[in-house]
Amino acid sequence: MFSKPKNPLYTSVTRRKFLELGGGAATALGVGSMAVGLNTVIMKSPVQAASSDDAKWKQYAGSKLVFLSENTPPTIALKEKLKPFYDKTGITVEIITDDLPVVSQKMGIDLRAGKADFILEYVQDKPIGAPYAEYFLDLNKYINDSSLPQDPEGYGKDAWFDNYLDISCYYYDRDHLRALPYDSAVACMFYRQDLFEQYTKEFEKEFGYRMEYTKDSTWKNVHDFASFFTKMRKGGKAVPYGYAQHQGNFAWTTQLDIQRHLFSHGRWTDFNVDDKIGSKTPGPTNWGDPTSVFQMQKFKELADVSHPDNLANGTLELNTVYQAGEIAMQVQYNEFAASVEDPKTSKAAGGKTAYAPCPKGEASWIKNGGQAVNGCNAGIAGIGINANGSEDMRRAGYLFSIWVTSTETQFDQLKGTGGTPTRKAVLQKPEVKAAQQRPTSMPNALTFDAVYNYGIKDPHFVLGPKLPEANEYYNIIAAETQKCLSNKQSAAEACKAIKKRVDNLNGI
Amino acid sequence: MVTAVTEVKAKSPTLVSKLDDVDLKARTLDFTPSVMNSVQKKYFYLWLILPAVVVLAAISLYPFFWLIWMSLNDVGINTSSAFVGLKNFTRLLGDDKFWNGWQILLTYSALCLVFEIIIGVFIAVVINGTRFENILVTIFLMPMMMAPAIAGLIWYFLFNSTFGWYHWFLHSIGILGDTSIIGSTDTALFGLVIVDIWQWTPLITLITLAGMKRVPRDQLEANMVDGANAFSNFIQITLPNIYPFLLIGIMLRFMDNFRFIDVILALTGGGPADSTNILPVYLFEVSFRYFKLGRGAAIALTLLVVTIILGKILVRVFEGPASKRIDVGN
Amino acid sequence: MASLDVVTYRTPLSRIWDAFVVIFLALYLIWTLLPIFIMFMSSFKDLLAAFQLPPVGDFTKIGIFFDFVPTTKHYYNLFFNIGFSTYFFNSVSAALGSALVSVVLGSMAAYALSRVEFKGKADLFFWIISTRMAPVVAVLVPLYAIFRSFDLVGTRTGLILAYTTFNLPFAIWILKGFFDNVPYAIEEASMVDGSTRFQAFRTILPLVAPGIGAFLVLCVLFAWNDFLFANIIGSGGAKTLPVATRELVQPQNIQWGSIMAAGVVTTLPMMFLGLLIRKYLVTGLTMGAVRE
Repeated sequence: MFSKPKNPLYTSVTRRKFLELGGGAATALGVGSMAVGLNTVIMKSPVQAASSDDAKWKQYAGSKLVFLSENTPPTIALKEKLKPFYDKTGITVEIITDDLPVVSQKMGIDLRAGKADFILEYVQDKPIGAPYAEYFLDLNKYINDSSLPQDPEGYGKDAWFDNYLDISCYYYDRDHLRALPYDSAVACMFYRQDLFEQYTKEFEKEFGYRMEYTKDSTWKNVHDFASFFTKMRKGGKAVPYGYAQHQGNFAWTTQLDIQRHLFSHGRWTDFNVDDKIGSKTPGPTNWGDPTSVFQMQKFKELADVSHPDNLANGTLELNTVYQAGEIAMQVQYNEFAASVEDPKTSKAAGGKTAYAPCPKGEASWIKNGGQAVNGCNAGIAGIGINANGSEDMRRAGYLFSIWVTSTETQFDQLKGTGGTPTRKAVLQKPEVKAAQQRPTSMPNALTFDAVYNYGIKDPHFVLGPKLPEANEYYNIIAAETQKCLSNKQSAAEACKAIKKRVDNLNGI
Repeated sequence: MVTAVTEVKAKSPTLVSKLDDVDLKARTLDFTPSVMNSVQKKYFYLWLILPAVVVLAAISLYPFFWLIWMSLNDVGINTSSAFVGLKNFTRLLGDDKFWNGWQILLTYSALCLVFEIIIGVFIAVVINGTRFENILVTIFLMPMMMAPAIAGLIWYFLFNSTFGWYHWFLHSIGILGDTSIIGSTDTALFGLVIVDIWQWTPLITLITLAGMKRVPRDQLEANMVDGANAFSNFIQITLPNIYPFLLIGIMLRFMDNFRFIDVILALTGGGPADSTNILPVYLFEVSFRYFKLGRGAAIALTLLVVTIILGKILVRVFEGPASKRIDVGN
Repeated sequence: MASLDVVTYRTPLSRIWDAFVVIFLALYLIWTLLPIFIMFMSSFKDLLAAFQLPPVGDFTKIGIFFDFVPTTKHYYNLFFNIGFSTYFFNSVSAALGSALVSVVLGSMAAYALSRVEFKGKADLFFWIISTRMAPVVAVLVPLYAIFRSFDLVGTRTGLILAYTTFNLPFAIWILKGFFDNVPYAIEEASMVDGSTRFQAFRTILPLVAPGIGAFLVLCVLFAWNDFLFANIIGSGGAKTLPVATRELVQPQNIQWGSIMAAGVVTTLPMMFLGLLIRKYLVTGLTMGAVRE
């Protein structure tokens, strides 16, 4: 997918020039539009509290801002829809997108150097928000500033979906609002319901219950489904493999993958701190306790009946494998529904795939007396403002943040393919309600029931672990888990190794 | 001196030829014209060197001192730099991934070089002197011209278990199952070795060819007249002559493995389970993913130290037979 | 030079050997060219066609590879939608710029190092070449810090300077060897005839010009193919082809068609250049250790 700018400001200029100078000047044009680089420009007209709303929006007309974001679908879709913001405020926004690790890298360098190359930043909850929380401006000061326009729906807990503020905007305390919820990628189960229907009889013969997936299906059921398909496939039948996990070299999603297992069985969390806001001193980790060892073992057993190339596939590759029809189920982030439903690239499109909440914990597998829940997690990013910037830069950035997280804008994005709304009001719109059933014009909406009505609500949702050393934490989990899956160490050894290294990391 | 020669030339043409020899000799002695003395000469040269040295110093000295300073401090994204002395270094001693990084680097380099030398030398030997030599070498060069980052992506495409042609081939002949070569800790390193062999064997071939052209012909002929066949010719005459070249090739490739991590980042990212996490990749991870700049600097310094040592050795080998020009008229 | 009058007998063993050699070379040829060929062909394939594989073990169906309708839409996409013409221009200007800077400064320094003697010259020389050997990853963060403070990040100038860090020492090292091979007598002669030292330097330049030209091209090659510097220091305003190609790996769909096309665009110019400087390639790639 490429982003073909339809009507952002700079492309309309480019097109006109193109006609003037002829095709041969295409190169020069490219130079012209890119030479803008990382320069933020601020032009200000003063306003007071009593000024009209319009004046407040336009107080920074003529300015230019830079937004650094991961190359997620909402941002890619946003690149094409910047004209409304320009019309409203007169501000041009340049959006730079990259892979998450690269974004984290560039942002880290920028923030640490005390600079503000990127005034608007993509605050991915744990990989970016947790380590860099202090560098993002506390938006509370602008929310009450009457010389700035405000969103009519406000920013309180009820304006956003459950837990969204906590996960992406509050780090280590609820006193500082570090970002506004911008996009959301919540895990849910994608599965081939056509294949489930097709093979339910054989499955029932072997396992004694119907092959169907509901919100009460447990991880044990998933294991059964997976081994059923895999056995058939190995026996030569032309069916997909059953399941595959998030492995590959994107360590964070590997950690999220096993976290779902752990949380489902007794709401196990990595540390004994408030999971929703995290802590800078999380204390000793719970890895190594009976639940973790047991679940690591189960995780491995599931891997053993999954696609043989499990270890090579990260989140992105996993989706490709599912699209190619090579696996029958994946727990995947709901924003990928759009690509799965695209008949041009996906063999699982056209009604073959159904979406449901993440699997529930299996009661007999719970070792700590806790509750069995549908362990669900997510990557929910906020849009934050670089506190290193000048006051005017930050205020202008604030205009963009509230615009891009407003209901209208999010609804607009949904109408493209990239929508992952964060405001509850978006779901009230009739078109969105209708789109949750097939046939749909908004493929992502097919997942909304599983995600917004179920997955993100307590007790199913796990928000953490938020700690400053988040990135190294994920790498430790991913590396040790992969070693266990490759039979290089047992589940118990893996958990012990994780405990040792994580405690070391946190200075225990 | 100059005027004297001219006068003599004018007066006695018969002496010209002899004087020309003298003239030439005089000119090759460093008889500088009286206008410049040796101090001014030195200034001239040093001024010539200056711009380059200034640029290099700015770009290499600052990072070097910065690395030293960083490695002695606890610098991260949120921590204020606190002096910790050698703690970063002692911490490395107990860091599994650090030692793993060295070990994998050595294993990887050894594997690559063994295959590259066997195949590269073999090809050089068989095509040397044949009429196809030039065209073959030209074709064989092509992989070296490709950007490693691009090569990584292409091979990723080829190795992928869902749509990769090389995976299909390996699967069809039974070497692999449905697991791609980079999907298993046992084979991931081999996947990387294959890519490296593809890209850099031609270099060994080129080096060997250059070396073989230096082998004194008369030695070869003498040996053949003594009744040796082609094979022992190779062992006894050619090999001793080309081994300095091969040594250079080995060292350069080894040092290049420190520098180029593009392919690894594209194919495996260091995984699975750290099986391809060579030290430069680990350094990248620590510096750019965890932002532990202090620790990263310590690792970087160890890499630099080893590089300098290897570099010194390399330079010594440079002064050896490989760099002498070919004698005209063999 | 004695003519090779030694007679070799063609034994059956040597026939087998010859056949083996021919087969091996043919296989090696295919092995070398196949990835490039696949890249090239795939750049013209539509996405789903590119993913088509014959069933496992079924070698007869290899023809599937050729079964597609060629399309130039990926190239179109690259240049008109993603703006690859900019990246191409960035690559060209950064590579060319750093090559020129390196060769100009480098030839001056190389000449001087070749002609002058002073204490510590060998050490200076070693220090120069060690900057070329240093792992980029190790010095990337401090380099970024320097560039950041001079506001050079994301600019083409910054990238040129960054590439100069490895091209300049390389140029000095190699060109010194060239200057070593030119006898000092020639400059002496011209100085005796009244030219200044600098003019004397200029008179010998034509003698080393082919070498300089070749190393200009080599510097372009190294700079063009670089990824790490361009990714960190050129990010944003000075994106080059390798970095842009990598960015085509996007979360929703890995744009294989465009990636293949981008690969072709990035690699083809370098292959032509490689052909041009075939003669000097060994010297260049072995840092002057091996001379043709």
